[in-house]
Amino acid sequence: MTDDNANLSIDFLVGFTIFILAFIWVVSIIPGLLIGLQSHTIDYDAVAYRTGVILVEDPGYPVYIDRSNLSWEEKLKVDKRDVDRLGLAISRDTPNILSQDKVNGFFHTSASYNTSAFTYSLGDYHKRAIFSDYPYRVNISLRDIDRNEIRSVGDVIPLNVSYGYISRIVKIKDPSIATINASDYKNADNVSTHKFSILLNTTKLVLGEVKDPAYQINPMKEQVMINITDLNTTINQPVNITLSSLTVKRVGDTNSYPFDELYIDDNSAPQLLLPIEVTNKVSLKFKPTFLDGIMSDAEGSQIYLTLTFNLKDPGGNPMNSTFLNNTPGTPFNYNSPNNFDYNYNPNNVRQPQLRPALLEVAVW
Amino acid sequence: MVSGEGGQLYTIEGVAAGLIMIMTAYLVVNATSVYTAGDTHINDMQLEVLGSDALKMMGTPSNTTMNSVDNSTLRTIIESDFSQPSNRERFNATFFPLVNNRTLQEPERFIQYTANFTCRDAGDNSMKTKFLSSSRNLTGGEHTVRVTKWVIVNKIMNNPNFCGTNGIDRAVLVEVLMWRD
Repeated sequence: MTDDNANLSIDFLVGFTIFILAFIWVVSIIPGLLIGLQSHTIDYDAVAYRTGVILVEDPGYPVYIDRSNLSWEEKLKVDKRDVDRLGLAISRDTPNILSQDKVNGFFHTSASYNTSAFTYSLGDYHKRAIFSDYPYRVNISLRDIDRNEIRSVGDVIPLNVSYGYISRIVKIKDPSIATINASDYKNADNVSTHKFSILLNTTKLVLGEVKDPAYQINPMKEQVMINITDLNTTINQPVNITLSSLTVKRVGDTNSYPFDELYIDDNSAPQLLLPIEVTNKVSLKFKPTFLDGIMSDAEGSQIYLTLTFNLKDPGGNPMNSTFLNNTPGTPFNYNSPNNFDYNYNPNNVRQPQLRPALLEVAVW
Repeated sequence: MVSGEGGQLYTIEGVAAGLIMIMTAYLVVNATSVYTAGDTHINDMQLEVLGSDALKMMGTPSNTTMNSVDNSTLRTIIESDFSQPSNRERFNATFFPLVNNRTLQEPERFIQYTANFTCRDAGDNSMKTKFLSSSRNLTGGEHTVRVTKWVIVNKIMNNPNFCGTNGIDRAVLVEVLMWRD
């Protein structure tokens, strides 16, 4: 050959082919390598862990400061944009102890609460609990072990898909309830109009003997429930019982406030107008938002609830009885020791109970 | 030998270079398996959080402690008489379902554990450890995580030979080893 410049030899061609083959092989493996390094499962697990910590160990934001700065679960739907973070703990100092009201607000299953209705599809939970621009799919579930209830929000976890998860064992604080048996409050006044008065001394409840938020009765942060039972059973003869009025007053304030939620004889719909005929049971529910409207900023917020019952025989004539009546004589006395006190005495009020639950967050 | 062959590769060198590159790529691929071991820590963390939560909730009384002693499940169990098998079973009956519970799916995990507790004997200043309960015997091959909780007890009546005989509050360390089956 006289001029073989610029020719490719067969040796170079073989070597270059081997190199290209090896190069293609390595490149084809790289995506697999990155999966191992980026590790989606590690990422998912980390997001699930973070979400679990926010939900279980944080009360969310905003938290309750006063009646013009309410906690996130008390916000109305129109104020949803003010909710920055969804946390379920009753306070920052009590991790793993969840608030029943916050749980209801988070899973928005409580129809009677007109609180912020969060929607998974609109990304409300992504913005306030998951905190990620990446559109993770999430399922957050809570199993109430004692009640055997499961609440869930988010997507259904698909089969055969690996997902990151975290399980947290928690306790849910069940608010206090007073159950008043009418037969325990009879007195010597044999009259047809009976007044029964209940004292809710919020100052004493909050600043009193129980300081631990896990066991404290705090009407500004959780609902107060009062059931008055055995009304008809107590009289034990044919009678028509009418709840003619229910007044809500605060000591030092001449105003009379409307009641919050009143339920008659286990009706699921609240009773809005009085008078109303009662068979055997009256239930009163006071939400934190309602009490906030009554409270004085100064200390000494004692709230009195006074129920007035009228008794008539089947013929419609007033009927005398030593019925449910703890305010004998008139005028009504705020300081009467006979008033039913909503306090820390377990004989009066069933104290807050903590019941076990399991919260799971799955991310994929 | 023809003239002008400068700069050409020969077959043997090409094959050798190719083999070297393939071996290099093979080593690189193998080396990446080191990183995947990081996943193990996540599993350990999940187990540790679960066990720690379970002990914490067992140590939290379910109602107010005002004017009364701490009546948490954990304290009551440790203060009970361990010569009675039913008292050992109480720990198992509470702890085992708690850590194996699920929300939406049936249990797909089976977490086993073995638990004991340690305290100082005020009589001779020695440390004593007592077996509490277990769901399965530890054989040594398991990959376990350890969770602990301090519990204040006043143990005198039921088992006077343990942790001294004085009826005073004392700290007991509850230790649980957990593993996946």
